[in-house]
Amino acid sequence: MKKSLSLSRKKAIVGLLFVLPFTTGFIVFIAAGIVSTVRMSLSDVVMAGTASGVELVWNEFQNYIIAFTQHPTFSEVLGTSLLNMLIDVPMIIFFSLFMALFINQKFRGRTLVRAIFFLPVILGAPAIATALSSARAMMIGGVSPASPEVMASLGSGMVVNVSYYLYMLGDLAIPPALIEYIIDAVARINSIISMSGVQIIIFLAALQSISPSVYEAAKIEGATPYEAFWLITFPLVSPLILTNVVYTIIDSFANSQVVTLSYNTIFTEYNYGLGSAFSLVSSLAVLVVLAIVTLLLSKRTFYHT
Amino acid sequence: MSASDLSSKIKHNSKRSNMRISRGKKINRSRAGNMLLFVLMAICGLFMVLPIVMIVNNSLKPPDELFQFPPRLFVRNPTLENFADLFVLMGDTWVPFSRYILNTIIITGGGTIGHVLCASLAAYPLAKRKFPGSTLLFNVVILSLMFSWTVTQIPNYMIISALGINNTYLALILPSWSFGIGLYLMKQFMEQIPDSIIESARLDGAKEIKVFWLIVMPNVKPAWLTLAIFQFQILWGNTGGMFLRSEELKPMQFAMQQIMAGGAARAGASAAVAFIIAAIPITFFLICQSSIFETMTTSGIKE
Repeated sequence: MKKSLSLSRKKAIVGLLFVLPFTTGFIVFIAAGIVSTVRMSLSDVVMAGTASGVELVWNEFQNYIIAFTQHPTFSEVLGTSLLNMLIDVPMIIFFSLFMALFINQKFRGRTLVRAIFFLPVILGAPAIATALSSARAMMIGGVSPASPEVMASLGSGMVVNVSYYLYMLGDLAIPPALIEYIIDAVARINSIISMSGVQIIIFLAALQSISPSVYEAAKIEGATPYEAFWLITFPLVSPLILTNVVYTIIDSFANSQVVTLSYNTIFTEYNYGLGSAFSLVSSLAVLVVLAIVTLLLSKRTFYHT
Repeated sequence: MSASDLSSKIKHNSKRSNMRISRGKKINRSRAGNMLLFVLMAICGLFMVLPIVMIVNNSLKPPDELFQFPPRLFVRNPTLENFADLFVLMGDTWVPFSRYILNTIIITGGGTIGHVLCASLAAYPLAKRKFPGSTLLFNVVILSLMFSWTVTQIPNYMIISALGINNTYLALILPSWSFGIGLYLMKQFMEQIPDSIIESARLDGAKEIKVFWLIVMPNVKPAWLTLAIFQFQILWGNTGGMFLRSEELKPMQFAMQQIMAGGAARAGASAAVAFIIAAIPITFFLICQSSIFETMTTSGIKE
């Protein structure tokens, strides 16, 4: 299509009008906060009688130097968080795709099954999590939620030692790294289920936008369900696999230990500069992971044009 | 024959052939495999339902059953006393419990609707009407997703104060309109809409806003319903934090934490409030969920 200058300018203006409400809010409420975090990470933050209540003193990257060379736990916590993320993400993606495919099928009693298997979506919600922890604590003897000792002591007695059984698989020449991955996955099953809610819905929405006529045509051509999955479903869902991977990485990192560490540094040790530096470094680390993953996946993604 | 006739026919046919497959011999999955899958799914399903069963049962338990050890999952002598206790307890305070519920509804409703609208409006040009700077905007939003909101709390507080909306509902509602995740999800879904549909609407003389509202939005209904569920949950669990200081503005989650802090003496009331808090998002979710599935039959725009 040939575009005259005035037309393209008009289009740009229409586009800008659409984006305006979101962008205004984004700049005011979110971007400004991040910019100020960057500034704090480069400074000593001193309480002062100025209008904003704080004074920022430039300190030549001291916070970053401390974070990597002097802080006892930061590097380790960052490493663990990234590692946990790498373990969680494939599990969550696999689980949610599987769930979505399962829920999307036609079978008797599927309304009930859908309702049940959708529950992780809501169980991850903060409100429900609080309600649950209170319920769980009460089950353990009516104590207030603030007694982890009771829960821990009860928990250790009840849980089957999964690793014991799994290590026996070592005799079957299954590599120990794989066994450890499985043990880890089993131990995390609860958190994986509760973290895969949004991903299930995203996959489901993707599955629903595939026209039934495609499958119909494939069936007429003699495709087996197996072929239909790999040649139709998978390619058409693949753009949203990438979406989901990005979302999962971000989501799992938002709840990771390193975020807790930077939060504690800011709000219990009142070291604003150092905490902001932690947060920035970890954000950059996630960004690098994200860039690599996107690069790897987008080559294999099928785009419908 | 109209398109709907055709699609219903196709659906009917595929249903029939599915049934035939499930009974016939062509299937390559064994019966034992099916059983194994069923058992696996049943176990997973049990794990998912258990917490909800627990919340419901706890709210109906009389105090002696709540404190029973070892605990039981199912209630023996169900009673509604806990709910009566809750309202009596909250009736004594100078802010009635209904006020907390209202606050939560205002914050959640305003935040969810605004967020879905703002994010979808912004996502449309980013996905389908690229303009100079749109890629930059999108990348900045993605970048912002890496930052945990917990860390930017102090700057956020300063901004809210500077705008003069501290200690109002707006302090919670307005920032939630601009969460980056909504823009990201909506854009990803809108990109899936074929250009030809939008182009043909435009050729028929539809204005951009009309194309957006009548063509794009209905086609990404699963996406914005998902977003609504997502946002609803986040806001529903909000305690008001540092932004709401007046007691009469605090949301229900705050009231629940206060009751739960009462410990053993308030166990019954907190079981009841846990039920109320959990029931409403679940209901909202079930309603949205069923309409997500309804769109399944009407969409299918990909060729």
